[in-house]
Amino acid sequence: MTRTEAALAWGMLLTGFLAAWSLVAAAVPAPAYVLPPPTAVFDAAGELIAKGILPFYIAESLRRILTAAVVALVLGVPVGLALGMSRRVAEFAYPVLNFFQSVSGIAWLPLMLVWFGFGERTILVAVNYTVLFPVIFNVLLGVRSVPRMYGDALRTLGASRWRILRDVLVPGALPNIATGLRLGLAYGWRALIAAEMLVGAHGLGSMIFTAQAFHLTARIMLGMAAIGVLWVLFDYFILRPFEEATFARWGLVHR
Amino acid sequence: MPPKIAVRGLHHAYVNRFTRERVVALAGVDLEVAEGEFLTVVGPSGCGKTTLLGILAGFVVPTRGEVLLDGRPVAGPGPDRGVVFQELAILPWRTVERNIAHGPEIRGVPRAERMAIVRRLVEMVGLVGFEKKYPHELSGGMKQRVAVARTLAANPEIMLMDEPFAAVDAQTRMTLQEELNTIARATGKTILFVTHNVEEAVFLGDRCCVLSRRPGRVKALVPVPVPRAERTWKRVPAEPGFEATKDMVLTLVREEVSGDERPGGERPGAPPSPGGWGGGVGGVEGGAE
Repeated sequence: MTRTEAALAWGMLLTGFLAAWSLVAAAVPAPAYVLPPPTAVFDAAGELIAKGILPFYIAESLRRILTAAVVALVLGVPVGLALGMSRRVAEFAYPVLNFFQSVSGIAWLPLMLVWFGFGERTILVAVNYTVLFPVIFNVLLGVRSVPRMYGDALRTLGASRWRILRDVLVPGALPNIATGLRLGLAYGWRALIAAEMLVGAHGLGSMIFTAQAFHLTARIMLGMAAIGVLWVLFDYFILRPFEEATFARWGLVHR
Repeated sequence: MPPKIAVRGLHHAYVNRFTRERVVALAGVDLEVAEGEFLTVVGPSGCGKTTLLGILAGFVVPTRGEVLLDGRPVAGPGPDRGVVFQELAILPWRTVERNIAHGPEIRGVPRAERMAIVRRLVEMVGLVGFEKKYPHELSGGMKQRVAVARTLAANPEIMLMDEPFAAVDAQTRMTLQEELNTIARATGKTILFVTHNVEEAVFLGDRCCVLSRRPGRVKALVPVPVPRAERTWKRVPAEPGFEATKDMVLTLVREEVSGDERPGGERPGAPPSPGGWGGGVGGVEGGAE
Protein backbone atom coordinates (compact mmCIF):
# COMPACT_ATOMS: atom_id res chain seq x y z
CA MET A 1 0.00 0.00 0.00
CA THR A 2 1.36 3.41 -0.89
CA ARG A 3 1.06 6.34 1.50
CA THR A 4 -1.78 7.87 -0.49
CA GLU A 5 -3.66 4.60 -0.52
CA ALA A 6 -3.16 4.18 3.20
CA ALA A 7 -4.36 7.74 3.89
CA LEU A 8 -7.39 7.07 1.71
CA ALA A 9 -8.19 3.82 3.52
CA TRP A 10 -7.85 5.48 6.93
CA GLY A 11 -10.12 8.31 5.76
CA MET A 12 -12.76 5.83 4.65
CA LEU A 13 -12.51 3.90 7.91
CA LEU A 14 -12.92 7.10 9.95
CA THR A 15 -15.86 8.31 7.84
CA GLY A 16 -17.58 4.93 8.17
CA PHE A 17 -17.03 4.92 11.91
CA LEU A 18 -18.42 8.43 12.36
CA ALA A 19 -21.45 7.59 10.18
CA ALA A 20 -22.21 4.43 12.13
CA TRP A 21 -21.77 6.32 15.39
CA SER A 22 -24.22 9.03 14.25
CA LEU A 23 -26.80 6.42 13.27
CA VAL A 24 -26.53 4.54 16.54
CA ALA A 25 -26.60 7.75 18.59
CA ALA A 26 -29.78 8.84 16.77
CA ALA A 27 -31.42 5.43 17.22
CA VAL A 28 -30.65 4.89 20.91
CA PRO A 29 -33.61 6.00 23.06
CA ALA A 30 -31.55 7.52 25.85
CA PRO A 31 -30.64 11.03 27.00
CA ALA A 32 -28.02 12.71 24.82
CA TYR A 33 -25.35 12.62 27.55
CA VAL A 34 -25.25 8.81 27.44
CA LEU A 35 -24.18 8.65 23.80
CA PRO A 36 -23.73 12.06 22.17
CA PRO A 37 -23.34 12.13 18.37
CA PRO A 38 -19.96 12.96 16.81
CA THR A 39 -21.14 16.49 16.09
CA ALA A 40 -21.44 17.09 19.83
CA VAL A 41 -17.83 16.04 20.24
CA PHE A 42 -16.76 18.42 17.46
CA ASP A 43 -18.76 21.20 19.14
CA ALA A 44 -17.01 20.45 22.44
CA ALA A 45 -13.67 20.58 20.65
CA GLY A 46 -14.50 23.96 19.10
CA GLU A 47 -15.61 25.34 22.44
CA LEU A 48 -12.62 24.07 24.44
CA ILE A 49 -10.12 25.20 21.82
CA ALA A 50 -11.73 28.64 21.66
CA LYS A 51 -11.52 28.95 25.44
CA GLY A 52 -7.94 27.73 25.39
CA ILE A 53 -8.71 24.86 27.77
CA LEU A 54 -7.92 21.97 25.44
CA PRO A 55 -4.56 23.38 24.23
CA PHE A 56 -3.57 24.09 27.83
CA TYR A 57 -4.49 20.60 29.06
CA ILE A 58 -2.74 18.97 26.11
CA ALA A 59 0.34 21.09 26.78
CA GLU A 60 0.29 20.05 30.44
CA SER A 61 0.10 16.35 29.59
CA LEU A 62 2.79 16.66 26.91
CA ARG A 63 5.07 18.57 29.23
CA ARG A 64 4.86 15.75 31.76
CA ILE A 65 5.43 12.91 29.32
CA LEU A 66 8.27 14.78 27.60
CA THR A 67 9.96 15.34 30.96
CA ALA A 68 9.79 11.59 31.47
CA ALA A 69 11.13 11.01 27.94
CA VAL A 70 14.14 13.24 28.63
CA VAL A 71 14.81 11.50 31.95
CA ALA A 72 14.55 8.13 30.18
CA LEU A 73 17.11 9.25 27.60
CA VAL A 74 19.65 10.83 29.93
CA LEU A 75 19.25 8.41 32.84
CA GLY A 76 17.52 5.22 31.64
CA VAL A 77 19.61 4.58 28.54
CA PRO A 78 23.03 5.03 30.21
CA VAL A 79 21.98 2.93 33.22
CA GLY A 80 20.73 0.16 30.91
CA LEU A 81 24.00 0.29 28.93
CA ALA A 82 26.10 0.16 32.10
CA LEU A 83 24.17 -2.76 33.57
CA GLY A 84 24.23 -4.63 30.26
CA MET A 85 27.99 -4.40 29.79
CA SER A 86 28.73 -7.23 32.22
CA ARG A 87 26.95 -10.56 31.94
CA ARG A 88 27.01 -11.11 35.70
CA VAL A 89 25.60 -7.69 36.53
CA ALA A 90 22.96 -8.12 33.82
CA GLU A 91 21.88 -11.48 35.21
CA PHE A 92 21.62 -9.98 38.68
CA ALA A 93 19.68 -6.92 37.56
CA TYR A 94 17.29 -8.76 35.26
CA PRO A 95 14.71 -10.03 37.82
CA VAL A 96 14.88 -6.78 39.79
CA LEU A 97 14.11 -4.69 36.73
CA ASN A 98 11.47 -7.17 35.67
CA PHE A 99 9.76 -6.81 39.06
CA PHE A 100 9.63 -3.03 38.98
CA GLN A 101 8.58 -3.02 35.36
CA SER A 102 5.55 -5.17 36.16
CA VAL A 103 4.44 -3.10 39.18
CA SER A 104 3.30 -0.17 37.07
CA GLY A 105 3.16 3.41 38.23
CA ILE A 106 -0.62 3.06 38.47
CA ALA A 107 -0.23 0.40 41.18
CA TRP A 108 2.13 2.74 43.01
CA LEU A 109 -0.28 5.69 42.90
CA PRO A 110 -2.07 5.06 46.23
CA LEU A 111 1.29 4.89 48.00
CA MET A 112 2.70 7.85 46.13
CA LEU A 113 -0.34 9.94 47.07
CA VAL A 114 0.52 9.27 50.71
CA TRP A 115 4.17 10.10 50.18
CA PHE A 116 4.01 12.98 47.73
CA GLY A 117 0.49 14.36 48.16
CA PHE A 118 -2.22 15.33 45.66
CA GLY A 119 -0.14 17.34 43.29
CA GLU A 120 2.35 17.66 40.49
CA ARG A 121 5.05 15.71 42.35
CA THR A 122 3.02 12.50 42.50
CA ILE A 123 2.21 12.72 38.80
CA LEU A 124 5.82 13.26 37.80
CA VAL A 125 7.16 10.50 40.04
CA ALA A 126 4.55 8.02 38.78
CA VAL A 127 5.17 8.83 35.12
CA ASN A 128 8.96 8.87 35.37
CA TYR A 129 8.95 5.61 37.27
CA THR A 130 6.69 3.95 34.70
CA VAL A 131 8.78 5.11 31.75
CA LEU A 132 12.17 4.39 33.29
CA PHE A 133 11.99 0.68 34.04
CA PRO A 134 10.94 -0.64 30.62
CA VAL A 135 13.65 1.59 29.13
CA ILE A 136 16.43 0.30 31.42
CA PHE A 137 15.20 -3.27 31.01
CA ASN A 138 15.12 -3.20 27.21
CA VAL A 139 18.42 -1.34 26.86
CA LEU A 140 20.05 -4.00 29.03
CA LEU A 141 18.56 -6.74 26.86
CA GLY A 142 19.77 -4.87 23.79
CA VAL A 143 23.37 -4.72 24.99
CA ARG A 144 23.33 -8.42 25.86
CA SER A 145 21.95 -9.29 22.42
CA VAL A 146 24.86 -7.72 20.51
CA PRO A 147 27.00 -10.61 19.18
CA ARG A 148 30.23 -10.84 21.17
CA MET A 149 32.15 -11.32 17.91
CA TYR A 150 31.65 -7.64 17.09
CA GLY A 151 33.40 -6.51 20.23
CA ASP A 152 36.12 -9.16 19.83
CA ALA A 153 36.75 -8.02 16.27
CA LEU A 154 37.18 -4.46 17.40
CA ARG A 155 39.57 -5.46 20.16
CA THR A 156 41.82 -7.02 17.50
CA LEU A 157 41.76 -3.63 15.79
CA GLY A 158 43.05 -2.07 19.01
CA ALA A 159 39.76 -0.63 20.30
CA SER A 160 39.32 0.51 23.90
CA ARG A 161 36.27 -0.37 26.00
CA TRP A 162 34.91 3.12 25.45
CA ARG A 163 35.33 2.70 21.69
CA ILE A 164 33.53 -0.66 21.79
CA LEU A 165 30.69 0.92 23.76
CA ARG A 166 30.37 3.72 21.22
CA ASP A 167 30.91 1.80 17.98
CA VAL A 168 29.40 -1.58 18.86
CA LEU A 169 27.15 -1.69 21.92
CA VAL A 170 25.16 1.50 21.41
CA PRO A 171 24.36 0.98 17.72
CA GLY A 172 23.82 -2.74 18.26
CA ALA A 173 21.39 -2.10 21.10
CA LEU A 174 19.55 0.63 19.21
CA PRO A 175 16.57 -1.54 18.14
CA ASN A 176 16.00 -2.46 21.79
CA ILE A 177 16.60 1.12 22.93
CA ALA A 178 13.83 2.20 20.56
CA THR A 179 11.59 -0.64 21.79
CA GLY A 180 12.26 0.39 25.38
CA LEU A 181 11.39 4.01 24.67
CA ARG A 182 8.31 3.03 22.72
CA LEU A 183 7.04 0.70 25.46
CA GLY A 184 8.10 2.93 28.33
CA LEU A 185 6.45 6.02 26.87
CA ALA A 186 3.29 4.08 25.99
CA TYR A 187 3.03 2.77 29.56
CA GLY A 188 3.96 6.19 30.87
CA TRP A 189 1.25 7.87 28.82
CA ARG A 190 -1.34 5.58 30.40
CA ALA A 191 0.05 6.09 33.88
CA LEU A 192 0.00 9.83 33.26
CA ILE A 193 -3.71 9.84 32.38
CA ALA A 194 -4.46 7.70 35.44
CA ALA A 195 -2.42 9.94 37.72
CA GLU A 196 -4.05 13.08 36.33
CA MET A 197 -7.46 11.51 36.95
CA LEU A 198 -6.64 10.88 40.59
CA VAL A 199 -4.65 14.01 41.31
CA GLY A 200 -6.51 16.38 39.00
CA ALA A 201 -3.82 18.94 38.40
CA HIS A 202 -4.87 19.83 34.83
CA GLY A 203 -3.98 17.58 31.90
CA LEU A 204 -6.14 15.38 29.70
CA GLY A 205 -6.74 12.80 32.43
CA SER A 206 -8.12 15.37 34.82
CA MET A 207 -10.19 16.86 31.99
CA ILE A 208 -12.05 13.64 31.25
CA PHE A 209 -12.46 12.77 34.93
CA THR A 210 -13.89 16.15 35.85
CA ALA A 211 -16.18 16.10 32.82
CA GLN A 212 -17.76 12.91 34.12
CA ALA A 213 -19.01 14.67 37.26
CA PHE A 214 -20.94 17.11 35.08
CA HIS A 215 -22.21 14.51 32.60
CA LEU A 216 -20.19 16.21 29.87
CA THR A 217 -19.88 12.99 27.90
CA ALA A 218 -18.81 14.70 24.67
CA ARG A 219 -15.90 16.25 26.53
CA ILE A 220 -14.87 12.82 27.84
CA MET A 221 -14.89 11.42 24.31
CA LEU A 222 -12.93 14.41 23.08
CA GLY A 223 -10.30 13.81 25.72
CA MET A 224 -10.07 10.13 24.83
CA ALA A 225 -9.67 10.95 21.14
CA ALA A 226 -6.95 13.48 21.96
CA ILE A 227 -5.06 10.89 24.06
CA GLY A 228 -5.07 8.39 21.17
CA VAL A 229 -4.35 10.88 18.40
CA LEU A 230 -1.38 12.42 20.23
CA TRP A 231 0.24 9.01 20.63
CA VAL A 232 -0.31 8.07 16.98
CA LEU A 233 1.25 11.37 15.88
CA PHE A 234 4.21 10.90 18.22
CA ASP A 235 4.85 7.42 16.86
CA TYR A 236 4.44 8.50 13.24
CA PHE A 237 6.51 11.68 13.33
CA ILE A 238 9.20 10.85 15.88
CA LEU A 239 9.72 7.15 16.61
CA ARG A 240 9.21 5.81 13.08
CA PRO A 241 11.49 8.25 11.24
CA PHE A 242 14.20 7.56 13.82
CA GLU A 243 13.93 3.81 13.22
CA GLU A 244 13.88 4.21 9.44
CA ALA A 245 17.04 6.30 9.53
CA THR A 246 18.98 3.93 11.76
CA PHE A 247 18.55 0.22 12.28
CA ALA A 248 15.94 -0.32 9.57
CA ARG A 249 18.53 1.15 7.18
CA TRP A 250 21.18 -1.21 8.55
CA GLY A 251 19.04 -4.28 7.94
CA LEU A 252 18.70 -5.11 11.64
CA VAL A 253 14.92 -5.41 11.39
CA HIS A 254 12.80 -6.58 8.51
CA ARG A 255 9.66 -4.81 7.53
CA MET B 1 65.94 -15.26 14.70
CA PRO B 2 62.98 -16.65 16.67
CA PRO B 3 59.97 -17.89 14.68
CA LYS B 4 57.17 -15.37 14.14
CA ILE B 5 54.79 -17.50 16.21
CA ALA B 6 55.92 -20.16 18.67
CA VAL B 7 53.36 -22.25 20.53
CA ARG B 8 54.83 -24.32 23.35
CA GLY B 9 53.10 -27.03 25.38
CA LEU B 10 49.67 -25.48 25.07
CA HIS B 11 46.94 -27.02 27.21
CA HIS B 12 43.48 -25.66 27.59
CA ALA B 13 40.48 -26.88 29.57
CA TYR B 14 37.25 -25.09 30.38
CA VAL B 15 33.78 -25.78 31.72
CA ASN B 16 31.01 -25.56 29.19
CA ARG B 17 28.71 -22.89 30.58
CA PHE B 18 25.52 -24.67 29.52
CA THR B 19 26.23 -28.38 30.02
CA ARG B 20 28.59 -27.86 32.99
CA GLU B 21 30.88 -30.41 31.37
CA ARG B 22 34.59 -30.01 31.66
CA VAL B 23 36.08 -29.90 28.20
CA VAL B 24 39.75 -30.47 27.47
CA ALA B 25 40.15 -28.63 24.19
CA LEU B 26 43.92 -28.75 23.75
CA ALA B 27 46.37 -31.19 25.31
CA GLY B 28 49.92 -30.21 24.48
CA VAL B 29 50.13 -28.30 21.22
CA ASP B 30 53.59 -27.37 19.94
CA LEU B 31 53.87 -25.36 16.77
CA GLU B 32 56.10 -22.87 15.01
CA VAL B 33 55.16 -20.54 12.22
CA ALA B 34 57.84 -18.72 10.25
CA GLU B 35 57.67 -15.09 9.19
CA GLY B 36 55.64 -14.81 5.98
CA GLU B 37 54.43 -18.38 6.20
CA PHE B 38 50.88 -19.41 5.38
CA LEU B 39 50.04 -22.21 7.81
CA THR B 40 46.68 -23.95 7.58
CA VAL B 41 45.28 -25.84 10.56
CA VAL B 42 42.89 -28.64 9.77
CA GLY B 43 41.14 -31.16 11.97
CA PRO B 44 37.77 -32.72 12.79
CA SER B 45 34.96 -30.55 14.15
CA GLY B 46 35.40 -29.78 17.82
CA CYS B 47 39.12 -30.57 17.85
CA GLY B 48 40.01 -27.26 19.42
CA LYS B 49 41.00 -25.36 16.26
CA THR B 50 38.94 -22.34 17.20
CA THR B 51 40.24 -22.47 20.79
CA LEU B 52 43.82 -22.48 19.47
CA LEU B 53 43.04 -19.45 17.36
CA GLY B 54 41.32 -17.73 20.31
CA ILE B 55 44.46 -18.23 22.39
CA LEU B 56 46.71 -16.86 19.64
CA ALA B 57 44.42 -13.87 19.25
CA GLY B 58 44.58 -13.27 23.00
CA PHE B 59 40.88 -13.76 23.77
CA VAL B 60 41.51 -16.92 25.78
CA VAL B 61 44.16 -17.41 28.45
CA PRO B 62 45.41 -20.99 28.16
CA THR B 63 45.39 -23.29 31.18
CA ARG B 64 49.06 -24.09 30.56
CA GLY B 65 51.74 -23.42 27.99
CA GLU B 66 52.68 -20.27 26.16
CA VAL B 67 52.45 -18.43 22.90
CA LEU B 68 55.40 -16.30 21.79
CA LEU B 69 55.30 -13.71 19.05
CA ASP B 70 58.81 -12.78 17.94
CA GLY B 71 59.92 -14.35 21.22
CA ARG B 72 57.57 -12.26 23.39
CA PRO B 73 54.55 -13.79 25.17
CA VAL B 74 51.08 -12.59 24.10
CA ALA B 75 49.01 -10.60 26.57
CA GLY B 76 45.48 -10.04 25.34
CA PRO B 77 44.24 -9.08 21.89
CA GLY B 78 46.21 -6.51 19.96
CA PRO B 79 46.36 -4.85 16.58
CA ASP B 80 49.51 -6.82 15.68
CA ARG B 81 47.25 -9.85 15.20
CA GLY B 82 44.29 -9.33 12.90
CA VAL B 83 41.46 -11.82 13.13
CA VAL B 84 39.02 -12.72 10.37
CA PHE B 85 36.09 -14.41 12.04
CA GLN B 86 34.09 -17.51 11.21
CA GLU B 87 30.84 -15.61 11.59
CA LEU B 88 30.49 -12.29 9.91
CA ALA B 89 31.92 -9.84 12.39
CA ILE B 90 31.75 -6.73 10.24
CA LEU B 91 29.41 -4.14 11.71
CA PRO B 92 25.95 -3.92 10.10
CA TRP B 93 25.67 -0.22 10.99
CA ARG B 94 28.77 0.77 9.06
CA THR B 95 29.09 1.04 5.32
CA VAL B 96 31.71 -1.01 3.48
CA GLU B 97 34.22 1.84 3.54
CA ARG B 98 33.62 2.72 7.19
CA ASN B 99 34.03 -0.93 8.17
CA ILE B 100 37.31 -1.16 6.27
CA ALA B 101 38.53 2.15 7.70
CA HIS B 102 37.68 1.16 11.28
CA GLY B 103 41.18 0.00 12.28
CA PRO B 104 42.94 3.14 11.00
CA GLU B 105 40.17 5.24 12.57
CA ILE B 106 40.87 3.64 15.97
CA ARG B 107 44.60 4.30 15.49
CA GLY B 108 43.81 7.94 14.81
CA VAL B 109 44.93 7.98 11.17
CA PRO B 110 43.81 11.26 9.51
CA ARG B 111 40.76 11.06 7.28
CA ALA B 112 42.51 11.66 3.95
CA GLU B 113 44.98 8.88 4.68
CA ARG B 114 42.16 6.57 5.78
CA MET B 115 40.35 7.13 2.53
CA ALA B 116 43.53 6.31 0.60
CA ILE B 117 43.85 3.04 2.51
CA VAL B 118 40.20 2.23 1.80
CA ARG B 119 40.61 2.95 -1.92
CA ARG B 120 43.64 0.67 -2.18
CA LEU B 121 41.97 -2.19 -0.31
CA VAL B 122 38.59 -1.89 -1.99
CA GLU B 123 40.49 -2.31 -5.23
CA MET B 124 42.51 -5.24 -3.88
CA VAL B 125 39.49 -7.23 -2.73
CA GLY B 126 37.32 -6.27 -5.69
CA LEU B 127 34.65 -4.16 -4.04
CA VAL B 128 34.93 -1.02 -6.18
CA GLY B 129 31.47 0.58 -6.47
CA PHE B 130 30.20 -0.91 -3.22
CA GLU B 131 31.92 1.51 -0.82
CA LYS B 132 28.68 3.13 0.35
CA LYS B 133 26.68 -0.08 0.76
CA TYR B 134 25.69 -1.55 4.10
CA PRO B 135 26.63 -5.21 4.77
CA HIS B 136 23.03 -6.46 4.49
CA GLU B 137 23.01 -5.23 0.91
CA LEU B 138 25.98 -7.47 -0.01
CA SER B 139 26.31 -11.16 -0.84
CA GLY B 140 28.05 -13.53 1.57
CA GLY B 141 31.25 -13.53 -0.49
CA MET B 142 31.35 -9.76 -0.60
CA LYS B 143 30.88 -9.53 3.16
CA GLN B 144 33.88 -11.81 3.61
CA ARG B 145 35.91 -9.57 1.32
CA VAL B 146 34.99 -6.64 3.53
CA ALA B 147 36.12 -8.63 6.59
CA VAL B 148 39.47 -9.47 4.98
CA ALA B 149 39.95 -5.88 3.83
CA ARG B 150 39.13 -4.53 7.30
CA THR B 151 41.79 -6.76 8.82
CA LEU B 152 44.35 -5.79 6.16
CA ALA B 153 43.60 -2.10 6.68
CA ALA B 154 44.76 -2.41 10.28
CA ASN B 155 48.05 -3.66 8.82
CA PRO B 156 48.68 -6.47 11.32
CA GLU B 157 51.87 -8.52 11.21
CA ILE B 158 49.87 -11.71 11.58
CA MET B 159 46.47 -12.66 10.25
CA LEU B 160 44.45 -15.27 12.09
CA MET B 161 41.56 -16.64 10.05
CA ASP B 162 38.83 -18.87 11.45
CA GLU B 163 37.01 -20.72 8.65
CA PRO B 164 36.29 -17.43 6.92
CA PHE B 165 34.89 -19.02 3.77
CA ALA B 166 32.73 -21.72 5.38
CA ALA B 167 29.45 -19.92 4.80
CA VAL B 168 29.77 -19.01 1.11
CA ASP B 169 28.84 -21.09 -1.93
CA ALA B 170 31.40 -23.37 -3.56
CA GLN B 171 32.17 -21.17 -6.61
CA THR B 172 32.59 -18.04 -4.53
CA ARG B 173 34.77 -19.93 -2.08
CA MET B 174 37.17 -20.97 -4.85
CA THR B 175 37.42 -17.38 -6.04
CA LEU B 176 38.01 -16.12 -2.50
CA GLN B 177 40.71 -18.74 -1.93
CA GLU B 178 42.56 -17.67 -5.08
CA GLU B 179 42.23 -14.03 -4.11
CA LEU B 180 43.48 -14.70 -0.59
CA ASN B 181 46.51 -16.52 -2.00
CA THR B 182 47.27 -13.54 -4.23
CA ILE B 183 46.82 -11.06 -1.38
CA ALA B 184 48.92 -13.15 1.01
CA ARG B 185 51.75 -13.31 -1.51
CA ALA B 186 51.50 -9.61 -2.28
CA THR B 187 51.50 -8.51 1.37
CA GLY B 188 53.85 -11.15 2.76
CA LYS B 189 51.77 -11.51 5.93
CA THR B 190 52.19 -14.42 8.31
CA ILE B 191 48.87 -16.23 8.19
CA LEU B 192 47.33 -18.92 10.34
CA PHE B 193 44.20 -20.21 8.69
CA VAL B 194 41.86 -22.63 10.47
CA THR B 195 39.49 -24.81 8.43
CA HIS B 196 37.82 -28.22 8.46
CA ASN B 197 38.04 -28.37 4.68
CA VAL B 198 41.08 -30.43 3.67
CA GLU B 199 41.14 -29.29 0.06
CA GLU B 200 41.09 -25.66 1.19
CA ALA B 201 43.87 -26.31 3.71
CA VAL B 202 46.13 -27.89 1.09
CA PHE B 203 45.31 -25.31 -1.56
CA LEU B 204 46.22 -22.36 0.68
CA GLY B 205 48.97 -23.57 3.00
CA ASP B 206 52.74 -23.60 2.74
CA ARG B 207 52.30 -26.26 5.38
CA CYS B 208 49.23 -27.95 6.68
CA CYS B 209 48.94 -28.71 10.39
CA VAL B 210 46.65 -31.65 11.17
CA LEU B 211 45.15 -31.63 14.65
CA SER B 212 43.94 -34.78 16.38
CA ARG B 213 40.37 -35.06 17.60
CA ARG B 214 39.66 -33.56 21.02
CA PRO B 215 41.67 -33.10 23.10
CA GLY B 216 43.67 -31.53 20.28
CA ARG B 217 47.35 -32.21 19.64
CA VAL B 218 49.44 -31.68 16.55
CA LYS B 219 49.15 -34.99 14.70
CA ALA B 220 51.20 -34.06 11.66
CA LEU B 221 52.74 -31.12 9.83
CA VAL B 222 52.50 -31.68 6.10
CA PRO B 223 54.38 -29.41 3.67
CA VAL B 224 52.56 -28.72 0.41
CA PRO B 225 55.05 -29.23 -2.47
CA VAL B 226 53.41 -26.79 -4.89
CA PRO B 227 54.80 -23.25 -5.22
CA ARG B 228 52.28 -20.69 -3.99
CA ALA B 229 52.55 -18.90 -7.35
CA GLU B 230 51.08 -21.95 -9.03
CA ARG B 231 48.03 -22.10 -6.80
CA THR B 232 45.01 -21.54 -9.00
CA TRP B 233 42.11 -23.94 -9.25
CA LYS B 234 42.85 -24.26 -12.93
CA ARG B 235 46.42 -25.39 -12.36
CA VAL B 236 46.59 -27.36 -9.12
CA PRO B 237 44.65 -30.43 -10.31
CA ALA B 238 47.49 -30.98 -12.78
CA GLU B 239 50.11 -30.82 -10.02
CA PRO B 240 50.86 -34.37 -8.85
CA GLY B 241 52.09 -33.06 -5.52
CA PHE B 242 48.75 -31.40 -4.83
CA GLU B 243 46.56 -34.48 -5.18
CA ALA B 244 48.99 -36.67 -3.25
CA THR B 245 49.22 -34.17 -0.37
CA LYS B 246 45.46 -33.77 -0.31
CA ASP B 247 44.96 -37.55 -0.09
CA MET B 248 47.53 -37.80 2.67
CA VAL B 249 45.98 -35.03 4.76
CA LEU B 250 42.51 -36.42 4.15
CA THR B 251 43.60 -39.83 5.43
CA LEU B 252 45.16 -38.26 8.52
CA VAL B 253 41.98 -36.30 9.29
CA ARG B 254 39.67 -39.25 8.62
CA GLU B 255 41.54 -41.44 11.07
CA GLU B 256 40.54 -38.89 13.69
CA VAL B 257 36.91 -38.59 12.66
CA SER B 258 36.22 -42.35 12.57
CA GLY B 259 37.85 -43.06 15.95
CA ASP B 260 35.88 -44.01 19.05
CA GLU B 261 34.16 -41.30 20.99
CA ARG B 262 36.01 -40.24 24.05
CA PRO B 263 34.36 -39.79 27.41
CA GLY B 264 34.14 -36.29 28.81
CA GLY B 265 33.74 -33.53 26.29
CA GLU B 266 31.67 -33.21 23.23
CA ARG B 267 31.31 -35.79 20.52
CA PRO B 268 33.41 -35.26 17.41
CA GLY B 269 31.11 -33.87 14.79
CA ALA B 270 28.95 -32.09 17.35
CA PRO B 271 28.52 -28.40 16.66
CA PRO B 272 31.04 -26.21 18.46
CA SER B 273 29.88 -25.24 21.91
CA PRO B 274 28.13 -21.91 22.26
CA GLY B 275 30.29 -19.21 23.73
CA GLY B 276 32.74 -19.23 20.88
CA TRP B 277 36.30 -19.42 21.98
CA GLY B 278 35.81 -22.00 24.69
CA GLY B 279 37.34 -20.00 27.41
CA GLY B 280 37.05 -16.79 29.30
CA VAL B 281 34.88 -16.88 32.37
CA GLY B 282 34.51 -20.64 32.68
CA GLY B 283 38.21 -21.45 32.36
CA VAL B 284 39.60 -24.09 34.70
CA GLU B 285 42.92 -23.81 36.40
CA GLY B 286 45.19 -26.77 36.77
CA GLY B 287 46.25 -29.72 34.68
CA ALA B 288 44.41 -31.05 31.72
CA GLU B 289 45.03 -34.73 32.31
